[in-house]
Amino acid sequence: MTINESANRVVLMTRGLRKSYGPVRALRGVDLEVRQGEIFGFLGPNGAGKTTTIRCLLDLIRPDGGTVRVLGIDPQADPVAVQARCGYLPGELRLNDNMTAERQLRFLSDMRGGTVDWGFTRELAERLDLAMGRPIKNLSKGNKQKIGVVQALMHRPDLLLLDEPTAGLDPLMQREVLGLIEEARADGATVFFSSHVISEVQAVADRVAMIRQGEIVEVAETWSLIDRALRHVSIEFKRPIGPDALSGLPGVIVLSWSDRTRVDLQVKGDMEGLINALSGLPVRDLETSKPSLEEVFVRAYEKS
Amino acid sequence: MWITLRCTLSSLRGQIIGWGLGVAALGLILIPFYDVFMAEQADFLEMVENYPPEFLAFFGGDAASLATTEGYLGMYAFSMLPVIVGIFAVIVGSGLLASDEESGRLDLIAAYPVSRAGLFWGRSLAFVGASLGILTLGWLGFTALLGGSSLDVGWGQMALPFLPLLAQTLVYGALALLLSMLLPARRLAGAVAGGVMVASYFLSSMSGLDERLATVAQFLPYHYFQGGDALNGLDWASLLGLLAVAGALSVLAWWRFERRDIRVAGEGDWRPPIPRFARRTETA
Repeated sequence: MTINESANRVVLMTRGLRKSYGPVRALRGVDLEVRQGEIFGFLGPNGAGKTTTIRCLLDLIRPDGGTVRVLGIDPQADPVAVQARCGYLPGELRLNDNMTAERQLRFLSDMRGGTVDWGFTRELAERLDLAMGRPIKNLSKGNKQKIGVVQALMHRPDLLLLDEPTAGLDPLMQREVLGLIEEARADGATVFFSSHVISEVQAVADRVAMIRQGEIVEVAETWSLIDRALRHVSIEFKRPIGPDALSGLPGVIVLSWSDRTRVDLQVKGDMEGLINALSGLPVRDLETSKPSLEEVFVRAYEKS
Repeated sequence: MWITLRCTLSSLRGQIIGWGLGVAALGLILIPFYDVFMAEQADFLEMVENYPPEFLAFFGGDAASLATTEGYLGMYAFSMLPVIVGIFAVIVGSGLLASDEESGRLDLIAAYPVSRAGLFWGRSLAFVGASLGILTLGWLGFTALLGGSSLDVGWGQMALPFLPLLAQTLVYGALALLLSMLLPARRLAGAVAGGVMVASYFLSSMSGLDERLATVAQFLPYHYFQGGDALNGLDWASLLGLLAVAGALSVLAWWRFERRDIRVAGEGDWRPPIPRFARRTETA
């Protein structure tokens, strides 16, 4: 299989996925496609349907309608085959408080039929600075989360399904976990992770899907979402210039002028037209601020 | 399934030892007490004959049968053991899957490559193993001092009443397990199964005094419990019937578990509907 074939292979697909809890419609026809080897961010506020979607993928809950394929397998038809190749970190991780971290991980390793490389597990634990010998009941939320991350990665899964992977971790450990996710991808894994921490999605995700009230609002490459958004540009001139100097440029909206020497603009798309127009003008300074994914996210939600 | 079985048995070892030693202690007290009882038999029988018949009915016998080995053991031990061990069955059966489910642990475990059938039957077999362990410890307690007693019962013969007891335990455990799959909360399942168990004991015990109760009792598990009479030979029809009921309840529970959603932490909370009164605060 060539690199392109591999990248185009869909490892996770949902079509019209629906799920209700009594009168609450948690998923209202979710369509998703995640390609092999990509890190796919799943964004949405609390209660949007992120966890419900992930739990349908692992056959923990049964959808009311729609189609699901994970690694080419229908999880309802052969859940064990899917689960054997996936690493899962639940959003609400609960462990056996009476076990030590090591015993819990050994138990979970046994549940995988002894296919786990214990040396790799130890390596993961060391990188996350996880105290393996302490009882779980004495561990902080962040340390429990580290056990969750280790157990999801320890068998080198083909597909990682992570529900809020950095929840409860300090910034250093968040960075380490994001590093582990990128390493897993480099080793050939596909990563599907939900989050409402937009900065971390922006940092690692190739593509993102935004979900709101059980419906996908947008699916796009992370960079294109940001590039498509309006950017803010402030220009200061050495001397006053004519009011029409920057009008009529494609994708440029003049927000305000100040003493004819300073202008604030909004630019949609690329900056080429604006830069060409500025080439003949006495520019003293130019500031441009790229919108964060967070702004894009908020705008997308406001629009929908 | 074997990993699940092993881990569940391991987590139940405290219960096995605790309940097993409790039942064994009953035997260790009752067996030596038999000789005292026989020495004072006349006084005991006179005292018991003055008890109301309803009281004797609860202990599965009449005054005359007390003088026999099976009557003595039946009245003082085996009439109540289904309820005592049944408490274990209801607690463990209702929590076999629902406990981990309500705490949120099952959300992780069920995402591992173990089929739901493997998870279900692994844990169910562990429950059977735990029940066997408790009753084996109990049997050891009942046989340990047999040699020094005038009770005319051998080691093997003493095992016979423990078989109907095992069947009762499995029926109540399987009922609690099924209810935990059907009802929204483990606590509710335990309460209903416990209620059925106590009602079964009362109604079956009293059915000898009232024919109308006998009609109802024949639908209840305790009605088919042999108790001390098993020392004279097993009622195979009742024993196998109870085991078949336990098996059928387990299959229904499994069928339901295969088809339902795994709940997450926080779902399925239920408390008995006991009104709570707000504490009044004294104001100056």
